[in-house]
Amino acid sequence: MNTTILMVAAVLLPIFGGALVPLIPFKNRMRMAIYVETIVLMTSAVVAWLLFHRTDDIFTLFRFTGNLSISFRVDGLGTVFAGLVAALWPLATLYSFEYMKHEGHEKYFFMFYTITYGVTLGIALAENIVTMYCFYEMLTMVTVPLVMHTLSREAILASRTYMYYSIGGAAFAFIGMVFILVAGTTSEFVPGGVLDPEKAANWRNLLLLVYVLCFMGFSVKAAMWPFSGWLPKAGVAPTPVTALLHAVAVVKAGAFTIIRVTYYSFGTEFLRGTWAQAVVLIFTIITIIYGCSRALKETHIKRRLAWSTVSNLSYILFGAALMTPLGLVGALSHMVFHAVMKICAFFCAGAIIYKTGREYIHQLDGFGRRMPKVFIIFTISGLALMGVPGLCGFISKWNLAKAAVESQNPLAYLGIAALLASALLTAVYMMTIVIRAFFPGRDFDYSKIQDVEDPNWMMILPLVLFAVAMFWFGLHSSTVVSGLEQIASVVK
Amino acid sequence: MSSWILLPVFLPVLSGICLLAASFRMHLAQVRGETGSGFLMWALDRKKLHTFVMAILGITAVLALAAAWTGEHSVTLFYLMKDVPVYFHIDGIGRLFVSIVTLVWVLAGLYSLAYMEHEGEETGYFGFYLIVYGVLVALDFSGNLVTMYFFYELMTICSVPLVLHNGSREARMAALKYLFYSMCGAYLGLFGIFFLYKYCGTLAFTAGGSLNLSLMQGNEGILLIAVFCMLIGFGAKAGMFPLHAWLPAAHPVAPSPASAVLSGIIVKSGVLAVVRVVYYIVGAEFLRGTWVQNAWLVLTLLTVFMGSMMAYREPVMKKRLAYSTVSQVSYIMFGLALLSPDGMTGALLHTVFHAVIKSALFLTAGVFLYMGGRTRVDQLRGIGKEMPVTIWCYTIVSLGLIGIPPMSGFISKWYLASGALNSGTGVFEWFGPAVLLVSALLTAGYLLPVTLNGFFPGEDFDVAEVVKKEPPRVMLVPLVIFAALTVILGVMPNGLIGYIGQIVSALV
Amino acid sequence: MQFVQNLPFISIIVALFSGSLSSIIGGRKARWINIGMISLVTAMSVAVLVYVLGTGESYVYMMGHFPAPWGNEIRIGVLEGTMAVFFCVVMLLCMIGGSREQFAEIEEGKLNLYYIMVNLLLCSLLALIYTNDLFTAYVFVEINTISACGLIMIKQNGRTIVAATRYMIMSLLGSGMLLLGICFLYDLTGHLLMSNIKEQVHILDQSGQYHIPLLVAVGLMSVGLAIKSALFPFHSWLPDAYGYSTVSSAAILSSLVSKGYIFLLVKIFYRVIGFDVIMESKVINVLFVFGIAGMIMGSVSAIKESNIRRMIAFSSVAQIGYIYMGFGLGTEAGVIASLYHIFSHASAKSLLFLSASGITDASGDSTDFFDLTGAGYRNKLAGVAFTAGSLSMVGFPMFSGFISKILFAQAAVEDTWQLLPTMIALAISTILNAVYFLKTVIRLYTPEKPKVLKKKNYKTIHAADNPAKSVALVCLVVLNLVFGLCSEPIVRAIQQGLDMFA
Repeated sequence: MNTTILMVAAVLLPIFGGALVPLIPFKNRMRMAIYVETIVLMTSAVVAWLLFHRTDDIFTLFRFTGNLSISFRVDGLGTVFAGLVAALWPLATLYSFEYMKHEGHEKYFFMFYTITYGVTLGIALAENIVTMYCFYEMLTMVTVPLVMHTLSREAILASRTYMYYSIGGAAFAFIGMVFILVAGTTSEFVPGGVLDPEKAANWRNLLLLVYVLCFMGFSVKAAMWPFSGWLPKAGVAPTPVTALLHAVAVVKAGAFTIIRVTYYSFGTEFLRGTWAQAVVLIFTIITIIYGCSRALKETHIKRRLAWSTVSNLSYILFGAALMTPLGLVGALSHMVFHAVMKICAFFCAGAIIYKTGREYIHQLDGFGRRMPKVFIIFTISGLALMGVPGLCGFISKWNLAKAAVESQNPLAYLGIAALLASALLTAVYMMTIVIRAFFPGRDFDYSKIQDVEDPNWMMILPLVLFAVAMFWFGLHSSTVVSGLEQIASVVK
Repeated sequence: MSSWILLPVFLPVLSGICLLAASFRMHLAQVRGETGSGFLMWALDRKKLHTFVMAILGITAVLALAAAWTGEHSVTLFYLMKDVPVYFHIDGIGRLFVSIVTLVWVLAGLYSLAYMEHEGEETGYFGFYLIVYGVLVALDFSGNLVTMYFFYELMTICSVPLVLHNGSREARMAALKYLFYSMCGAYLGLFGIFFLYKYCGTLAFTAGGSLNLSLMQGNEGILLIAVFCMLIGFGAKAGMFPLHAWLPAAHPVAPSPASAVLSGIIVKSGVLAVVRVVYYIVGAEFLRGTWVQNAWLVLTLLTVFMGSMMAYREPVMKKRLAYSTVSQVSYIMFGLALLSPDGMTGALLHTVFHAVIKSALFLTAGVFLYMGGRTRVDQLRGIGKEMPVTIWCYTIVSLGLIGIPPMSGFISKWYLASGALNSGTGVFEWFGPAVLLVSALLTAGYLLPVTLNGFFPGEDFDVAEVVKKEPPRVMLVPLVIFAALTVILGVMPNGLIGYIGQIVSALV
Repeated sequence: MQFVQNLPFISIIVALFSGSLSSIIGGRKARWINIGMISLVTAMSVAVLVYVLGTGESYVYMMGHFPAPWGNEIRIGVLEGTMAVFFCVVMLLCMIGGSREQFAEIEEGKLNLYYIMVNLLLCSLLALIYTNDLFTAYVFVEINTISACGLIMIKQNGRTIVAATRYMIMSLLGSGMLLLGICFLYDLTGHLLMSNIKEQVHILDQSGQYHIPLLVAVGLMSVGLAIKSALFPFHSWLPDAYGYSTVSSAAILSSLVSKGYIFLLVKIFYRVIGFDVIMESKVINVLFVFGIAGMIMGSVSAIKESNIRRMIAFSSVAQIGYIYMGFGLGTEAGVIASLYHIFSHASAKSLLFLSASGITDASGDSTDFFDLTGAGYRNKLAGVAFTAGSLSMVGFPMFSGFISKILFAQAAVEDTWQLLPTMIALAISTILNAVYFLKTVIRLYTPEKPKVLKKKNYKTIHAADNPAKSVALVCLVVLNLVFGLCSEPIVRAIQQGLDMFA
């Protein structure tokens, strides 16, 4: 019973705690910071408790009609996402206190930032597809103000694009949800899927079409081509948002929902080897390459990272679309590891923007010498993204490729090639920045970048922790991966 | 417990990292106008820096050789993934490679002490120099494919700053090109590893290969493709067509000792990787007579010829040597591709000889640069009058590369040619040696003019103006040692041949 | 017979009587009478609903205890009761919320006329809901039309007069067709009382006689009511009528008047013809096609619109399309979804109209899209309310629109050929809704450039400045949330009511 109440607490605490931020008259900035950090830490503590005391209990918050209810449960897959989010959020919040100093409207920022935490946890802990869908939609709504934050023309346009894409995606995901409600035996998530065998046989092609639509719908949040346009645009948001939401929470929520519907609603046995699988695989493979190529062309540092996210998210989707337990392991490990790598890269970019106001790559000449901590960590994250062994990126790539080889699907082989080609492009677009920063040339005039220096500990601490995490996961992955394997073993 | 064999890995890597940290601190201190103290001052002092570097190099060398020649050590460091350990195992071939690496690294390090004076940023250079050494030792000690891949990539990444050293625009482009080609190669290799992981019993290196025949049944096609990808991929490091283009770009911009180790050693790690894949994982049996072997042979011969041809046409000294490397390393690859005992013996011999010779050649090119900034071949007229010892060394190693007895190169080429003739590869039996011969002629054509013009500058050259001026002793000594080795190995090759024959007999 | 059974009849009479009373007193007093009357009727309707829910069955009330065919009957079931309560509540909120505009926009002397019209409108709506007699229904349809016209043109400017004229013409066309249909049925069956007609129609259907005339009658009535409720493509009168009239009128017209006709149509389907007969005739397929077209075209027109009031009006076209699409599915689940959408659309649309007026107040009374920039900061409550209404329209979970969307979709899955078109149309329509509604929301929260602000001199409105509207807005937001969160009892009531119909 305790656990079930706590699930609701984990979701509602940040939602209400966040909503209160603009209403409480704080004496100064520090108090607000302490308040917000407390809320976030408490939530994370609750989540941690939940993860270590997992029960299979269901808690139903309320019912809409009939079998539509808002219910929560902590299951294996949910723990991965919830744990990931809970681990990253406090660090990102810490970082944002420093970063948001120069952005203004902090109260509203932290309000929505904290609410987003709760909503993301809602997606992670959702027990049935209706709950997940509801929180998925809410996620759009609470993150739009964050994208709009600066209220510049660019930000407004970006938030509009983001909203159109997301709502459009949700509209198609909605179709999938309805079909699960009607053609499934239950709306709950059950490993292996819930489709009624009789209906599945009668409506085979229709359901496959619906699956593809649903996949496309949810993949909007995961920025799959051709729905990836919003993500780089949304890079106008303050860096903590781009880092945490557009590299982890929001986009991974998209990937997470896809994993849910694939493995827990439609069921892989129904989907494996069908044309629907081929279609989604092709889309993910295209995105893997497309994102990287766009990243290569981009000269704005945050947008470059955003395109890189596009590509990396499709690694996850690719793993999910393999529709084998191993594929799920690959997808989940990349979900976790990419989060660490990309948030780290974004925070470095944020530190650069915050300290120097420079956002374009050609302006970064010689910075590595002046802000060595940031750039060394940026280099590490770049190497990790490339998948250099010893860092976590390699592990997830290995798992994905292993799954692809095991699946014996020619398209999956093509996917491996795409993964590696993308890694190659990653090497180029990350390392050009690094090379520029560390080797500006013998005759470079350092007095031009006199003002550049490393930021203070509030920003460096998360960076260092992420860097350590990248090494840790890269060198000692077996604990994490065997945990993921255990989770994936329940799906068929 | 033989974990101590990892000391020669960690010692240079850690001391390299310390040097890098010092380099960063120094820079910041300069900018802020701090005077600095303690370690910082220490690192700023060139003399002390040199002592430190040489001490580390020396200790590492001793440790590495000790580790290599005191028996079959194996160590599992930790598990990278559940069933993939980071595993070190010292076997015959690793021993051979470690010895070459150590030899070249110490000598080129010695040379760098003087040479890097005019390049600047010494602390950073030596930092990476040491790190790459440690990584290479680890690469040679690797006991399974994933471990090897791990250090292979690390090697690429850590050696990029060596290419990048002077930070000019060309250097940046060259470094990117180097990175791109190497990564492209590494990922092609990785592509194969994924498949081998499924179809091999173990990824630990097993003489004769470890393919799981029952799993493999019916999947030979995809496996051959995977192996071919790996050959192309690891061949990139070895400068094999089609991924050879980074060599001529990277070498000219890198400091000369860096080019020497790039060409002498790092390129050889591509060879090592191919040996490991073909002879220790897949097994020569599996490839013999398949399209993969034929394609591989064609590629190597093409590269041999094309490299020589390009070198012959190239006026810039270091580029010329780079093309020469392209061509010469494909001799080795050709030997490996023959999948015959003699071919493999020739290949391994050539690996050793070429490492020695090409390092010497690049060090000579460095001398030309150091002593007057001469980069082009046509600027070298009369150089023999100016620095006779250097040019004599140059001439000796050149003759070795061309393959004129009694220099070492002759031995390896002999084995390569005879290996080809007995390999049973059809048309390649006679075509291979023919190409090798033509390439040898071209080698003579691009290397010897330096000697000829150096000693016989022609009538219009005013000999009186030339001041005799040899490079500093630390630069000269390595050259002389390399030249001596070329002769000694050529005259008394039996010990080496015997050792290599022992390795090869277990493989083919 | 219990007293409470009299209440439906009494409430109609009270509404009618208070209309007459208002004609002889001043505007402000008329307003109080109006508010009081609606509250009273609300209370009575609640009592009736509770009673019906308690007994669990419908009852027929004979006026003056004359049995048919001489007397006139009204019939009350759960659905009618719920509908009446809901209509009264929404109307009350609309009247309260728009009271300031009523005083500001309507000439002093005509104010009491306005309240007469509203009272008559309520009277006719109640009659449409309760009546068991087809001809009575027709009579009140006409009363409804006339009073609606009055509501439109009471705010006098050129546009409203044009709009009212248009509305009149289209509406009368619709009424005419309805009347023709009724005549046909009367000819065929010899009855005007719904239950009697149904028996006869059943016999006709069994025997296969008069198949074509029956079809024509059904078609005429359906199309007539469709015109009156602005189903695409008969919607041309709507944007002007809703867009330029005073806000309470617009809210009432869009959320109640058109819904009254739709409810009448449902009654005709179930109580007069019988749903299976309707199913056989292909009329509902036509409705389905036009419903789908309306869903898309209404939204497309709304996207092109730069006047916020007209934009909301066009959105109504789309929403009416949803409702007809639900009928067109030809299943009971579809009808339930449509009826639910009547509730959810009415609550959301009145909320939108009211909050839009709050927003335009804070933008110098301009309805132009570009003048609304930053209005969400100048009138916070209206901004929030508009956002809530928009989210409801888009079908955002927790709001009423989500439930109706999900009911429609679930209903569609039960069927065969309508399935894919419905699903795709739902998805596209959601996206289109998002495009124009959320674009507006973002516009509201885009800060205006300081230069423009200085020039335009907008006033800032606090919630306390217009308490009546603030209360109405809050209540409507709550209503939306209630429909979004606690849909279970309402869906059950609809289900129960439909069972009582049959």
